[in-house]
Amino acid sequence: MMQQTPPIPEIIQAIPLQSYLILSTALFVIGIIGVLTRRNAIVIFMSIELMLNAANLLLIAFSSYKSDASGQVFVFFIMAVAAAEVAVGLAIIVMIYRNTRTIDVGFLNKLKW
Amino acid sequence: MYPIVLLSVLGIVVLFLGFMKSKSVLLPATLLFLVLALASNFIDWNQGKVLYFYEMLAVNNLTLAFNAIVLVSAFMIVAMTRGFQDQEEAQPAEYYGIMLFSLVGAFMIIGYEHLIMLFVGIEILSVSMYILTGSDKSNLRSNEAALKYFLMGAFATGIMLFGIALLYGATGSFNLTDIQSYVSIQGRGVSYILYAGLLLLLIGMLFKVSAAPFHFWTPDVYDGAPTIFTTFMSTIVKTAGFAAIFRLLSHSFTPIYSFWWITLAAITVLTLLVGNIIAVYQNSFKRMLAYSSISHAGYLLIAVTSLSPQTENAILFYSLAYSIATISAFGVLMLVSKKKALEGQVDESYAAFNGLAAQNPLLAFVLAVSMLSLAGIPLTAGFWGKFFVFGSAVERGLVWMLVVAVLMSAVGIYYYFRAIIAAYLKEGDIGKIRIAPFYRIILVVATAMTILFGLAPGIFEKLL
Amino acid sequence: MSPTLSLFYFLSFLTVLSALMVVFARSPIHSVLYLILTFFCLSGHYILLNAQFLAAVNIIVYAGAIMVLFLFVIMFLNMKKEDEESKTNLTKVAAVIVAGTLGVILVGAFRKSQVGTYNPYAHDSQVGMVESLGHMLFREYLLPFELISILFLVAMTGAIMLGKREVGERHF
Repeated sequence: MMQQTPPIPEIIQAIPLQSYLILSTALFVIGIIGVLTRRNAIVIFMSIELMLNAANLLLIAFSSYKSDASGQVFVFFIMAVAAAEVAVGLAIIVMIYRNTRTIDVGFLNKLKW
Repeated sequence: MYPIVLLSVLGIVVLFLGFMKSKSVLLPATLLFLVLALASNFIDWNQGKVLYFYEMLAVNNLTLAFNAIVLVSAFMIVAMTRGFQDQEEAQPAEYYGIMLFSLVGAFMIIGYEHLIMLFVGIEILSVSMYILTGSDKSNLRSNEAALKYFLMGAFATGIMLFGIALLYGATGSFNLTDIQSYVSIQGRGVSYILYAGLLLLLIGMLFKVSAAPFHFWTPDVYDGAPTIFTTFMSTIVKTAGFAAIFRLLSHSFTPIYSFWWITLAAITVLTLLVGNIIAVYQNSFKRMLAYSSISHAGYLLIAVTSLSPQTENAILFYSLAYSIATISAFGVLMLVSKKKALEGQVDESYAAFNGLAAQNPLLAFVLAVSMLSLAGIPLTAGFWGKFFVFGSAVERGLVWMLVVAVLMSAVGIYYYFRAIIAAYLKEGDIGKIRIAPFYRIILVVATAMTILFGLAPGIFEKLL
Repeated sequence: MSPTLSLFYFLSFLTVLSALMVVFARSPIHSVLYLILTFFCLSGHYILLNAQFLAAVNIIVYAGAIMVLFLFVIMFLNMKKEDEESKTNLTKVAAVIVAGTLGVILVGAFRKSQVGTYNPYAHDSQVGMVESLGHMLFREYLLPFELISILFLVAMTGAIMLGKREVGERHF
């Protein structure tokens, strides 16, 4: 019987879950730094994507270690939502570019950034 | 559950109605759909707690009452949109469709039982708001507001998701009841990951309801968005957001109250201070209302922080009173600023109201009642809202927080009364403003409700 | 060190490095390219974790669709100039301090807590396969799955509404 069940992936046996936690936290922090330091709207948006991916990695790591599928289904939803958000965000950026010819958030000084 | 299904379908119907030649059918159809949704909302009334769709959605009287508040606010706001059709570039079918869809998101976060419903609901609500904020396409301020709202909103979503992931890691489930049982079994010994996850999730949600220090986007976005959608944001998003925060904390995290209340109390006090004090310095009425919405988020947070048996009623009543007063205040502002715009000057400052009472006694009265209600003067609904909120804080013994809140309400009186003084005492040359009959009815009903609930708050409790 | 282990460390290093490059690259196009690299590395991690389906979806949706959209907009807007005036150094330092503190707190929380590990007796390595995910997605998660279509509808309507050229507006 034991031979029929597929083996536990090697990575789960060899690497503690902590490493994945730290890796995804690193990605998350890098994303936050990007959002706070950059001014180009598209780069800020890419940093936000990094943050979402940190959450994805975390969910998948937890899900695989606990062998519970719901975490991975959640990631599925995050990806779908990210796609919808990107569409709207880029439409907003294109709209602004039409009016101002720039997408540097610095021009937002009318609204006191 | 029924309004979710109904509005999802009817929103699509509205989009299709947009293909018709005559745009005049859109507004009545949307209003009819909202009434239908409100009626269907009460099918589940008094059934106790019901879980739908594999424990995704919970329905009980509290969630139904929140749904009803959201629907009533939406009805009033949509009824005020007369005039979308007049503008050449406007796409009314899209606006109405997106508004109906955003309500679906609001219902999801009011009654979520599973964190994925919270996440998807918040996204539906926020993405709709990003779009509506930017809907005044040729107006640069509206564009900037949309971009800023979008970037900050997506940032908050990222933080929230990381929090959800950590909560999942700690408890092994996304289900609120499972999380609750995990927390109550572990008691104070829950892992630090849960604390971190809860904090990040809360930060993400507080961002959406614009509590300080996560409020910095609010004034600009509320100021830049078309006024009608500012109204939508400051009432519906806020009501639904607070319902969601209250649901999370009261359902799952009561056993570790001693952990989160200090954080939340600090945020509450900061929100009260920031909202009220900066509002004093505003010259624009619209910006003042944005800061006022921050300060009202602070009052609502008092109720959430104290988390006593009274809290449910306090939040419900407060959001109702706040929503109605805000809608009528913005309603008057829209009429006045439209009149000014026709005369060739965009004016959303206090000075726009100068001399309003001379030729438009009704508008001035509506404005005055809504300002009194927002300030929390007795005989208005806002007074009882504050009364209940403070009552729940007293029950928990948070007297020091109460002192701050009362002081800040006193500050609030100053900036709310500026509008009344402008309308009644200052000289100005506003001519007679034409009000569409339906618009007039909405304003009168909102004012009547504010006074009615102010005279007899018991009516509301009887309804529950 | 076993090959899997070294693969893990290599991928992790590459992930963090390319993520850093996304944030610090001067030109937005470079940022996009580094972001794509990050996504590929993450897909590698997903495969290591036996989440094959999500690894494929990650490539298709993120690297395939989302990133192409990014690139498309950058090219469309002709943003090759690096004319971005940077924020003041003070804001930058403050931002790094804030984010760094958050990271240190999180890592501290992880260190102090029992994160648990796999259960060698009840572990099911097949959870990441299409079959188990599909079962869950179309049964327990049916309602959010249907409702996310509302989100797409909103996004579609909105993107068209905002991105459409109005009469009299210039074509870029």
